[in-house]
Amino acid sequence: MTPLKSAWHHIRRSPFQSLIAVTVMTISFFSLSFFVIISHGMSSVLNFFETKPEVTIFLKDGLDRSTVEGLQKELSNYPKIREIKFISKDKALEIYKEQNKNNPLLTEMVTASILPASFEVSVSDPKILEQIAQNFSIKTSQVDEIIYQKDIINSLLIWTDFIRKTGIIIVSVTTAITILIITVIIGMKITNRKEEISISRLLGASNYYVKRPFLIEGIIYGLTGSFVGLLITFILSAFFAGRINLFFSPVVFISSDYRFYAILLLSSLSLGSLIGFTASWIGVKRNIKF
Amino acid sequence: MKVVFDHVNKSFGVINALKDINFTVEPGEFIFLVGSSGAGKSTILKLILNQIRPSSGEVVLDDHHLSKLEKNKIDKIRRQIGVIFQDYQLIPDKTVEENIALALDINNFTPSLISEKIEKVINQVNLNSRRHLFPSQLSGGELQRTALARALAIEPKIILADEPTGNLDAENSLNLLKLLKDINELLNTTIIMSTHNLDIIKSLDKRVISLNNGEIISDSQNIKPASEPKKHHTHLSKK
Repeated sequence: MTPLKSAWHHIRRSPFQSLIAVTVMTISFFSLSFFVIISHGMSSVLNFFETKPEVTIFLKDGLDRSTVEGLQKELSNYPKIREIKFISKDKALEIYKEQNKNNPLLTEMVTASILPASFEVSVSDPKILEQIAQNFSIKTSQVDEIIYQKDIINSLLIWTDFIRKTGIIIVSVTTAITILIITVIIGMKITNRKEEISISRLLGASNYYVKRPFLIEGIIYGLTGSFVGLLITFILSAFFAGRINLFFSPVVFISSDYRFYAILLLSSLSLGSLIGFTASWIGVKRNIKF
Repeated sequence: MKVVFDHVNKSFGVINALKDINFTVEPGEFIFLVGSSGAGKSTILKLILNQIRPSSGEVVLDDHHLSKLEKNKIDKIRRQIGVIFQDYQLIPDKTVEENIALALDINNFTPSLISEKIEKVINQVNLNSRRHLFPSQLSGGELQRTALARALAIEPKIILADEPTGNLDAENSLNLLKLLKDINELLNTTIIMSTHNLDIIKSLDKRVISLNNGEIISDSQNIKPASEPKKHHTHLSKK
């Protein structure tokens, strides 16, 4: 009988214990993949804000062309600037009308003269934004107001960090519980098969020969549990992706990139088999002694 | 396979199960170990199988000193030994066929060779119609024949049979004995069989080692002159 067949034989002979092992592994990998997808979504949101024109500098009315050009030149001297966009009063009105096209009352009363001209500055390094915001806020004769999305980013960073840390804690706890349960289950299976092990030893079975089916059994639990856990996450993601992505629009919170899911699947299967192997190895080590 | 017991003693706590046991079994020899319960027959077989180790003295199998062997070497030695246990030692949730296959698999036979060997031994012990049954579905005689088939399948250098006829009727006992005798003669397999069935012993002209309270009280090889091959039977009859 091949080791794989022996392992399958063990699984069939105690199906409920095997079901428990697969279930805890499934729960563990469902929580892992759930937090990975949420964390990935939060990173997309954060990335969106970090790469948007984060600082909007509203200018005072009546500035002459050379002053505006001077400010633009000063901005362009900062490192890691991605784009500096000048929004004139007329352009600002155009944007305003576009944003409120469904509410004519708001657009009728507004003219270009009451809207300020502004610079929208995007950078590749968010740290530069802080410098720009600080330096331009003191130019009170030229700058009317600075809108800086630092608070939003900070808040997002805190949430992302919190979700990641929570995820790590929950996944670590469930993984530890999974290892413990599989270790106990393998131990019970070994106890149930003490007679078979003892007979095999008398027939000349090596240490490795006796232990191998139990180790393979652990790997089977790992592979099955991780696959099912991930499958549940994938189904739920596919089901809720439309609504969640609409909520976060224009950010794609639930990724549709198949490479992301392929990597997640491969990593989970590898990690699952490693956890299954480790758990059964501990079980075997504790219960089979020659 | 040659077996040497050299001043072997074995104690279990305060009980001395074997006392200064000395004998040699040459390759291809067929010997009986006889004695009442607790005489030390099973202890000798357990020592050969390395299930237990002597308290003192040496057990040597083909130049391998068992007490000095590493664990992985013990497995290799055991793979050359076919064992028929008194209580059969069959795995309950494996069929007759699977129990035999296990021994072959442990001995690293290929799947095709395993099928071939199973076919051969199952026919040899006449268990063809029972091959897919589990031990709980077999009679005592069938269980014993399954254990024998498992021992024969690996073509061992030595067969240890611990009271193999204990649960068999007279006819099955003689059949089993005939099979062991044939294997011994055809394949030159060493056979050590423990029994207290004198009819069995009388039916074959083989060497007999008699034990009592852990001591060898007679060895037909030592007391039997070459010209008087049946003398040990007389000795046994007296006992």
